[in-house]
Amino acid sequence: MEFKQVVGRRRSIRYYQPYRPVEREKVQVVLEAARLSSRAVNADFVQAIVVNRDDLAEENRESLKTPTTTAQLDLAPVWIFWLIDPTAPKVGQTSLKKLVDVGALTPSHGWSHAYVDNVVWPQVLQPILADPGTAAVVAAVEAGLAINQALLAAVDEGLGTQLTALNAASAKQILGIPDHLVPIWIQLLGYPAEDPDAGGQRPRSPFEHIYFEGRYGRPFERDQTVVERLRADGMLTGDAPHPWRKEEVRALSRMFGLPE
Amino acid sequence: MAEQVAESLERLAGQSTVIAWLKAYDAHWDVRQSDGETRAKLEILARFCLVCEREPDDLVAWLFRQTEEGPRIRLKRRRLVMALIDDFEREHGGRSAGNVVRSFLIHNGVALSATPLR
Repeated sequence: MEFKQVVGRRRSIRYYQPYRPVEREKVQVVLEAARLSSRAVNADFVQAIVVNRDDLAEENRESLKTPTTTAQLDLAPVWIFWLIDPTAPKVGQTSLKKLVDVGALTPSHGWSHAYVDNVVWPQVLQPILADPGTAAVVAAVEAGLAINQALLAAVDEGLGTQLTALNAASAKQILGIPDHLVPIWIQLLGYPAEDPDAGGQRPRSPFEHIYFEGRYGRPFERDQTVVERLRADGMLTGDAPHPWRKEEVRALSRMFGLPE
Repeated sequence: MAEQVAESLERLAGQSTVIAWLKAYDAHWDVRQSDGETRAKLEILARFCLVCEREPDDLVAWLFRQTEEGPRIRLKRRRLVMALIDDFEREHGGRSAGNVVRSFLIHNGVALSATPLR
């Protein structure tokens, strides 16, 4: 699938074919995509545990649910638990020097082993590690970059996917997650039971309300010819809701015995 | 039980959470439920109220606590009610009956669902 189509087709899918397994190779593709995301200091800010829904005892499945994370967990056959590691920059002194060695960080931009040892490590990375709040923000951003690639890879593989909340304490206990890692999201994988368009592209704030040019508050003007090109390329699709969406949701609810 | 249910229908229909539920349901799904559909739902809700020994307004109020930031759901009580609904649907009309009760709670701001049938 073309990149713009992947972006345009991604939806949070909440109804899955519960009986249809996800091919293991597709799960691997999703993980491979996350592994290649942009990341600060080339550190592993995010790790993941893949769990097959049916390998979890019912009581464990129930304990992982939150008030708004319920039926979709029962429907999706594969769950990826994404874990963030706020301590990841601890490898920075070594990992940055490796980036210098492979030509990613270059002397023409001021990078050297000495700069890493004398400046970046003591003046940037150690202070981040010493401040849990900052470390958590950095880790969350870096994890988000990786998880987004995982979402897009799932779409590219023809899967439905969604990030969903979880009971982190239960996840830690059930899956044996070390203390320094924070379960942040479950990414669900499965084949959609709903139309993959899931009612259409979600409402967004107007482009000019959130993107600026030159200074804050001066809108970046949206060129309609670009908009039309993106429509033609499949990145901008029909806005939600499609006229039949409510009927679709009611039919799905009745099919799965879910409340209306 | 049937007599008790019949007696309570009018009273239930006047409760604010029931009015809110029926109104929100129609608005969300773009439908207008017939008197017969509404009555059938109220009968189910009345049966559940007998089982849990709470009137609808009381049940919803019992599931929230008031805080300075606004109402907060009581999670343990929510879990208890979810289990009660599971028991109720086993003994009183199956999943569709349980979902009437769930719908009542959902449209009154109590987020819950059911285990999908699969």
